[in-house]
Amino acid sequence: MSERLRDGGGRGAGEGGFRELDPVIHAQARLRVVVALNALPEGDQIAFPGLRDLLNMTAGNLSVHLSKLEDAGYVSIVKTHKGRTPVTYVALTSRGRAAFDDYTAAIRELLGTAETGRNA
Amino acid sequence: MAGDDENGEGVLHPREALRLIEEQRGQVRRRLQPDPLFMYVPWGVAWTIGFGVLFLRLGLTGEPYVPIPSGVATGILLAAMAVAMAVTVFLGLRTGISVRGVSQDRGMMYGISWSVAFFTSGTIASRFVAVGRLDDREAGLLWSALSLLVIGVLYMAGGAVWRHWTMFFIGVGILAVNIVGTMAGPGWHALLTTVCCGGGFIVAGLVEHRRWRKAGA
Repeated sequence: MSERLRDGGGRGAGEGGFRELDPVIHAQARLRVVVALNALPEGDQIAFPGLRDLLNMTAGNLSVHLSKLEDAGYVSIVKTHKGRTPVTYVALTSRGRAAFDDYTAAIRELLGTAETGRNA
Repeated sequence: MAGDDENGEGVLHPREALRLIEEQRGQVRRRLQPDPLFMYVPWGVAWTIGFGVLFLRLGLTGEPYVPIPSGVATGILLAAMAVAMAVTVFLGLRTGISVRGVSQDRGMMYGISWSVAFFTSGTIASRFVAVGRLDDREAGLLWSALSLLVIGVLYMAGGAVWRHWTMFFIGVGILAVNIVGTMAGPGWHALLTTVCCGGGFIVAGLVEHRRWRKAGA
C-alpha cells in the first residue's frame, strides 16, 4: 500500500479510464476523519480531544487511523505542551487536502454526478 | 452513527461514501460554528432595549416621552450589551473544541481591535464632553455616533476577514443608520438605531439560522 501512496495516492487513472479510489481515504472511519479535518480552514490545527469529540470515536481507534493517514503524508500531527499538559494537534496537510479533493472528484465521477456539489 | 465498523476498513459504496462526506461535513460545521440565532438575536434584543430606553428619554423633539435619568438609561444600555456579550462569548466557547492556527490568530487580532477601538472612541468622546460645550443631548449623540462608527467599521472588517457577506452588510447598515441618525439629531439617532439595528440583528439571526441549519442538514 505504501508503494502506491508514494506514487501519489489515488490520483492515477486506472487502465479502463476509471480513477481508483484512494484506499487510505476510502474506508469509513478514515473518510470521516479526513472530512472533519478538511472542514477546518487551511492553516488550522485541531486538538486531539476535540477531534475525537467531533467524530465520536474512541481515542485508540482515532489514533490508529490518524497514524495511517500520517504515514500516507495526509495528516500532520504535532505534539506540544500547553503549560505542563501535553497536547496533540492534528491537521490535514496540503497533500491530504489534494488527496481528498481527488477522492471526492473520483466518487462523483463514479456516480456520474460530477460538479453537482460544492467542495469547500 | 457510522461507528459499527471499528477498524474502518469496511468496503464503502461510492454512494455511501458521498452521503458520509456530506453528513460528516454538515455535522462538523454545525459543531464548530454555534447557531447564529444565538449569536445575533441577543444583540438585537440588547440594542432594541438599550437604544429604545435612550429614545424614550430623548424624544424626537427634545421632550422626553418617559422621564428616565441619564445615568439609568446609560446603565440599562450597558447592562443589555453586557448580557448579550456574555451570551455570545459563552456560546462561542461552549463548542469546547480547541483549534489553533490561522483562525485563532484572526479571532485574537479581531478581538483586540474591538477593545482598542472602543478605548479610542471613549477617549475622544470623553475629551470633547469634558470641555463642556456640548449639552447633555449632543454629548450623548457623540458617544452613540462614535460607538456606532466603531461597531459598523469592525463589522465590515469582520466580513472582510471571514468573507462573511451578512456581517459585512450589517456593518454597512449600521454606518448608514449612523450617518442618517447623526444628521437628524439625538432622538432620531436613538430611534433609528433601535428599529434598524436592533431589528436588523434579529432578522439577520433568523436568516443566518436558516442557512446554518441547511448547511448542516
